[in-house]
Amino acid sequence: MNHYKLSISEINKLFKDKKLKPSELYSEVFERAANTESIIHGHLTLFQDENIKKAADADKRYENGTELGILDGIPIAIKDNINIAGYATTCSSQMLSNYISPYDATVITKLKDEGVMFTGKTNLDEFAMGSSTENSAFGPTKNPWDPSRVPGGSSGGSAAVVSAGSAIASLGSDTGGSIRQPASFCGVVGFKPTYGTVSRFGLVAFASSLDQIGPITNNVEDSKILFNSMKGFDPFDATSGKESKTKQPKLKNAKIGIIKELMEDGISEDAKLEVQKVAKLLESQGHEIVEVSLPLTKMSISIYYLIAPAECSANLSRFDGVRYGNRVAGNTSYEMMENTRAEGFGPEVKKRILLGTYALSAGYYDAFYGQALKARAMMKKEFTETYKEVDYLISPTTPSDPFKFGEKSDNQLEMYMSDLCTIPANLVGMPAISIPTGLSSNGLPLSVQIMSPANTDNTLLEFSQKLESVVSFTSLPEIKGDVS
Amino acid sequence: METHVELKTNSKMFCRCNVVETDKPNENLCPTCLGLPGSLPVPNKRAIEFITLLALSTKCQITTDGMFHRKNYFYPDLPKNYQISQFDLPVGTEGSLEIVVNGEFSTVEIERVHMEEDTGKSTHIGSGRIDSATSTHLDFNRAGIPLVEVVTKPLIKSSKEAVSYIEELRQLVIDLDISEGKLEKGNLRFDANISVAYENDDELGTKVEIKNMNSLRSLEKAIEYEISRQTKMLNNNETIIQETRHWDEKKEVTSSMRSKEGSADYRYFSDPDIPNMILSEDFIDKIKNNMPVLPSEKRNTFINSGLSIEEANSIGKSPKWMGELYKSVSDITNDSKTTFNWITGELQGQLRKLGETSPPEWMTAEQLAEIISLVKNDKISFTSGKEILAELIEEKINPEEYAISNKLIQENDTEEISKMVKEIIKENSEVLERIANGEEKLIGFLVGQVIKLSNGKVNPSVAKELLLKEIK
Repeated sequence: MNHYKLSISEINKLFKDKKLKPSELYSEVFERAANTESIIHGHLTLFQDENIKKAADADKRYENGTELGILDGIPIAIKDNINIAGYATTCSSQMLSNYISPYDATVITKLKDEGVMFTGKTNLDEFAMGSSTENSAFGPTKNPWDPSRVPGGSSGGSAAVVSAGSAIASLGSDTGGSIRQPASFCGVVGFKPTYGTVSRFGLVAFASSLDQIGPITNNVEDSKILFNSMKGFDPFDATSGKESKTKQPKLKNAKIGIIKELMEDGISEDAKLEVQKVAKLLESQGHEIVEVSLPLTKMSISIYYLIAPAECSANLSRFDGVRYGNRVAGNTSYEMMENTRAEGFGPEVKKRILLGTYALSAGYYDAFYGQALKARAMMKKEFTETYKEVDYLISPTTPSDPFKFGEKSDNQLEMYMSDLCTIPANLVGMPAISIPTGLSSNGLPLSVQIMSPANTDNTLLEFSQKLESVVSFTSLPEIKGDVS
Repeated sequence: METHVELKTNSKMFCRCNVVETDKPNENLCPTCLGLPGSLPVPNKRAIEFITLLALSTKCQITTDGMFHRKNYFYPDLPKNYQISQFDLPVGTEGSLEIVVNGEFSTVEIERVHMEEDTGKSTHIGSGRIDSATSTHLDFNRAGIPLVEVVTKPLIKSSKEAVSYIEELRQLVIDLDISEGKLEKGNLRFDANISVAYENDDELGTKVEIKNMNSLRSLEKAIEYEISRQTKMLNNNETIIQETRHWDEKKEVTSSMRSKEGSADYRYFSDPDIPNMILSEDFIDKIKNNMPVLPSEKRNTFINSGLSIEEANSIGKSPKWMGELYKSVSDITNDSKTTFNWITGELQGQLRKLGETSPPEWMTAEQLAEIISLVKNDKISFTSGKEILAELIEEKINPEEYAISNKLIQENDTEEISKMVKEIIKENSEVLERIANGEEKLIGFLVGQVIKLSNGKVNPSVAKELLLKEIK
């Protein structure tokens, strides 16, 4: 029997009942990786050797009844923009291809304390900028459902390895949909928590006011377990929140708003039908479905593509070849920095740095960045008002099912539009989850996204768990060339 | 004037690295102050308290809802290639500082007081400048140390005023206990912006910024040099360009560093890694209630004790022990000027000769007051007073006992002295005759004879007085 698609709590029960050992599970997962990685290319690195010892240690803990918790011995993949001390953090960039982090991200420290094993580091669009992993300097990741299609991005590697079974779960980071969109494309669950609930310390920053670490898992319960083991105030992250008491949305007889603007032009029929199907299911469970209008959601791509590049233009300034990372020589120190950045960054990263630098420049700030900040504040207000009327909001996660490699790389605007539904949650700071609910006419996974007010993460997860149980999406990808 | 004040917090501005002095480069570093990928800044509360204290003591308005901004520019010793600083919402605005220039009060208006982080330190090899250096050594120990920048309004009118302002600011940060205030260590670093205009012009002239002045002396010289350079240019109808100039300590001239500094675009935007800085009423009140005595208050106390503005200002900026000793001694002597002169003149002079920076621990205000009183009451001569003081610095003595046992007490008994005067007059009839004939300076000779007769114990002025009475 294969165990790599079991839930974390099921695996934990098998460990405790001595029906399965962490080392056995790890061998299985690693074998799965060995069989699928040549096709999928989800992992950039696999930590095989060191994990043999770690798995043996976990075996002993379960034997002695001294296991560290429900996550002890669970193999989890980490997006390669999250630092693990002693390992490379490349951000899928030539700039950092030789960079070894001397410290752990706070989430890594927390997961280590729980006995988690890290399968390795996963592929992403360079510095998390992209929606397909086509921007990785180390080659794209393939969608396990159809290797001719993208796995989504930027956390494409993290979504693909969970879908393929070469990790039980994974961590991604989400700035404009980078967890949810690839989770949707790969038919797994992706959760972006409320901004600030999970520490960003050790996550290589793309856009600091939007970035959030979250789990990608086979089911909602696993996301809940990982989220709760990672969340909490971190003295190393000034934006991480102390838990605040917030009015929670209803779990029974809830009012759910379908966002009108995310059911219009630009959204495929398949995606709309999927939302309508789920809405009916929710209705049958006693919930009320209403249509709500949030006009500013239509502006979200414009707002996002001013704020995110502006922040990234400063965040990525530190990559200059002076203190770490690759260095390309020059006649003067400035020439050295210029050469390093010219060779180290890929085209998408350069484009966003230029865009952000422009948006912040004297004479343009008010018209671009300043305007985007105002629009963002207005959008927040719009959502706050809407949440007075409804408990949850629902929309497609992505406008369509996974697209083919190259299909959108020539049309940047269309590529950016694939984040249309996911960006609002980042701009507003609220939690959002993507749950696979069915297959498209192409036989590829489709998902819906559910959102709730900031700091209601666990209620959203609980609500999603109930929805998941009635949707019962059980399809799994058949990986071409898969021998296991 | 733009002045950077290095705060003496235990840890850096945005991380937990210790602030310690070390000769070893790159010793006190962590992911945050080195700008490693994924690191984040967390503001130092103590530093915020310190800057609030400084802003309050310079009568600034406090921005209760402020924030940190990113100032973007590339330089190898700037770890993130942006500096976390403040832009349009600094902690303090619209303040002022009372200073003393040439014995008179003056007020320097302060535009802003803001918080930022220090950069690393570059040492350019083979050249003083980065673009012509063969290599550059970087030390990031300094990176992230909290700095307060204090910017004045362009209302300072002379080099003397600028120097007095820095002296006052330095004393303020020392008395507030928020900085070591040592210029030689770079705890206080200042740039001067200078513009010269025609007397009748309403507008200020083009501003030129001078950097690299490491002492008050170079500040004064650089400002004077720059004023005369700009004045000459204006008189020759030349155009002054806005630029940054470098003060050359050896040649004592300024030279152009880079022009068009004013057009540098730092692309300031609020730092998304740091929540807004809310200074609560409670927080501000707590700081107000714990405000130490300010230099201006200290100065007023000295003035009220009878010193001139200049004297009060000078003793207020002397080492702490001097002001304290002055207060205790003048309380006993009730003579501020004499006490001031003894402490700032004789005592400081003798200590300096011995290479000491403060008096020995056994020296008390009472002992010093006793010496001053002995001299003042003509019990001993000024010279004897100096002798006793020198002895007191060497070892613990009782000034009066010392004066007695060393026969330094002067004879003030007029009857005794009259006897001696009469004796001398009797012995010197010839001299008396010459005095009668107009050789008045010989009176001094007779006084000397009286002192000799008394073995030096007679107070010369008393002897002279009695002599004159006898002669006439």
